[in-house]
Amino acid sequence: MTRSLTLVTALSRGPRMLLALPAAALAVTLAACGSSAGPSAHPAAPKPAGVAHSHAHSAPTHAASSEPTKQAGAAHRHAHSAPPPAAATPAPPAPPVPTVNPIPQGNGGDQDADNNGGPSDGDGNI
Amino acid sequence: MTVRTARRGRYALAAIAATGIAVVVVAFALPGRSPGHGFPALHPAAAPTRWPHAALPNGTAVLSYPPSLRPLAGDTDAVSVARLGPGGVFQLYLNATRRQGSERLQGWAAFRLRLLRSDDATSARQDAAAEGVQFRGGTGSCVIDDYITRIGGHHYEEVACLVQGRTSASVIVGAAAAARWVRARPLLFRAVAAYLVR
Repeated sequence: MTRSLTLVTALSRGPRMLLALPAAALAVTLAACGSSAGPSAHPAAPKPAGVAHSHAHSAPTHAASSEPTKQAGAAHRHAHSAPPPAAATPAPPAPPVPTVNPIPQGNGGDQDADNNGGPSDGDGNI
Repeated sequence: MTVRTARRGRYALAAIAATGIAVVVVAFALPGRSPGHGFPALHPAAAPTRWPHAALPNGTAVLSYPPSLRPLAGDTDAVSVARLGPGGVFQLYLNATRRQGSERLQGWAAFRLRLLRSDDATSARQDAAAEGVQFRGGTGSCVIDDYITRIGGHHYEEVACLVQGRTSASVIVGAAAAARWVRARPLLFRAVAAYLVR
């Protein structure tokens, strides 16, 4: 009888305090994650792979492949960079804006592939 | 008393274990905290011995590429290679170009996307980005993005890196049709990892 009372007492005191620990840790973790998951530069929505296939391939030389839909978000599965430090730091200067379309499309400019619907090269738009 | 102490010890252990499990579960269950900013690790390494090389005309960088790709005509200060499929479809594309304008390591991803939107693409979207990426002979900033071309509405995905060497900077681009990206990416990344700057 005494032992039963002891068990009841232990169950009614210790577990309540101890079980509060995971809940507290959960709340702290959720808060930490939630604060940095706010506005993102890029939504997690799947890529509009279908868009590519809805276009008319008027330039067969550079036509996109008609393979099945890309496995969207493959790049998103990689490790993410560390969140920015909490301390407020002055914002870095905005990168310079590229010159607006100096190379005409439609075999313009240097007749590069990227002026004819091919992949873009690494030029600085000059 | 001994029974109570032992029982409390077990409760404490259980609570600690539960806390750990909860933290791990939450960490893995929640979506990425900053989607779109992750970038796969790039390990700079020399290309396989069979891979051909193409040096920039100014000699400041060397592009190594798989033997299945062939040189393309392009800008005089750049080198381009590609593997074309039936009908001239671009399957793999690599390009290296010396730094031409106001490209900078800081903010490279945003710069590249603006350039795409202002020149070749009707839309461009960042998928991942990184700065401080190690290259052979230098350090770079990289972006993975996908875009729709103005001409033909073709959907490409690319990795584009601005790489700063000791004496100069250049850009390397690896691209493929978006539908082929998952298969093309390992080979393109190997070429990017083998990119040598001086």
